[in-house]
Amino acid sequence: MTDLLVASAVSKTYFDTVANDNVVALDGISLSIAAHQFVSVIGPSGCGKSTFLRLVAGLDRPTAGEITVSGRKVTGPGADRGMVFQEYALLPWKTTAANIEFGPRLKGLPAAERAAITKRFVELVGLKGFENKYPHQLSGGMRQRAAVARVLANNPTMLLMDEPFAAVDAMTRQHLQEELTAITAHERTTVLFITHAIEEAVFLSDRVIALSGRPGRIVADLAIDLPRPRRWDAMANDARFAAYRDELTRCIHGKS
Amino acid sequence: MSIVRKLTTELLPFAVALAIWQALSTAGIWPKVLFPSPLEVAQAFATDLASGVLMLNLSVSLRSLLLGFALGCAIAVPLGYLMGLNRASRDFFDPLVNLLQAIPGLAWIPFAILWFGLGQGAVTFIIVMSVFFPVLHNLLTGIRMVQPVLIEAVQTLGAGRFSVIRHVIFPATLPNLMTGIRLGIAFGFRSLVGGEMIASTDGLGYAIFNAQQYFQSARIVVGMLTIGIVWLAMDRLVLRPIEQRTTMRWGLVREGLEKS
Repeated sequence: MTDLLVASAVSKTYFDTVANDNVVALDGISLSIAAHQFVSVIGPSGCGKSTFLRLVAGLDRPTAGEITVSGRKVTGPGADRGMVFQEYALLPWKTTAANIEFGPRLKGLPAAERAAITKRFVELVGLKGFENKYPHQLSGGMRQRAAVARVLANNPTMLLMDEPFAAVDAMTRQHLQEELTAITAHERTTVLFITHAIEEAVFLSDRVIALSGRPGRIVADLAIDLPRPRRWDAMANDARFAAYRDELTRCIHGKS
Repeated sequence: MSIVRKLTTELLPFAVALAIWQALSTAGIWPKVLFPSPLEVAQAFATDLASGVLMLNLSVSLRSLLLGFALGCAIAVPLGYLMGLNRASRDFFDPLVNLLQAIPGLAWIPFAILWFGLGQGAVTFIIVMSVFFPVLHNLLTGIRMVQPVLIEAVQTLGAGRFSVIRHVIFPATLPNLMTGIRLGIAFGFRSLVGGEMIASTDGLGYAIFNAQQYFQSARIVVGMLTIGIVWLAMDRLVLRPIEQRTTMRWGLVREGLEKS
């Protein structure tokens, strides 16, 4: 199986205007991600995990090294790498349906096809009945569902998610995590998921990559071999889940 | 809210103001020529309406105002987006705009008369100069306030520069543009009246000025109130419906802080 994403010795240094100094956010990250895998990158605040995701998305440029997706070097943002943001980033002036339809519309798909896609993804994320609501009329959890649907409806090669559930309450978060695993397994989506929550990463992923504190370097790269579909009530008593969680906790925090 | 209740809410402030006005004029503290009563004003209003003078002046003023407003926006809006979206244009125009911004529209009256002669041409020019800056300034503020994450989100959906401008920048700047338009019209009215008093021989501003020369204080109030009513009509019939259909509907702007 060929790798969908290849990062080769990627470093990112940026100038911190507050500290008035150069900050090394990422230091020589090399990794590959296979297609149809759900991969999480975890690490403490400031380890550069979100920076890495933005480099993959093409929203920022690496200082050194390069990233390729499907064999093409990333030079800017593109529809093949759809991103879900922590703050939803839905367009406030578009309804749920219009937000979800946005990507297909940019691609110039005919109206009938767009409507079919929109209908399918509205239903997939459980937003039927809310198609004509504006984002400000939706709850946080519903907004994030809409944001996920918007990206999936655009049929990206990779789904990039930057701590997408950090802003929703704990109960909603567990629902959304279960839905996400079901949807991405069903759609066979390749996902690169950023989080600081170890349990979330283990629950969702086929593979978890842990970064050290700044500058970010890979300290663990763990395959998560747990059966799917995954549900929180089953995980609570699963010894393997606990073992993965503890091992990653040790890698990130337990060096001393 | 019922129709009756809505109408009451709408009319109550005017009724109270009218009652105070009537009470003050009945008390007879000031001579009538300095403080005309509501009845006198109503009579003058009816007279000017019947003679056609009021409508003539109103139409002259409205034409200058709308033309000046349209021209001012036609320059300010494209320039605003150009400056907001293009660094080089911003660096070039920003110092010039700042230099001119502090100069009131009315300060252009002497040149307006020299260039356009006495009349509505000069008045229109002054209005353009007054409308231009609030519209431009508010639009630039709006562009600076666009959330970067919205731009990034649509870029990862495949949006190029044109789509970002059309689907993110334009709607995101609408609340500030509406504020700019409101202020632009308000500044336009000030310049309209001031300009017509000095540089014109017709229009509402001239009518107010002229009435003062003949001690027709009721007609002064007629002119003033007409301006107020015209603004109120513009706000209720044009600006508010636009906002209700756009910025308010999108949850970007609310009527007030209280829960609906």
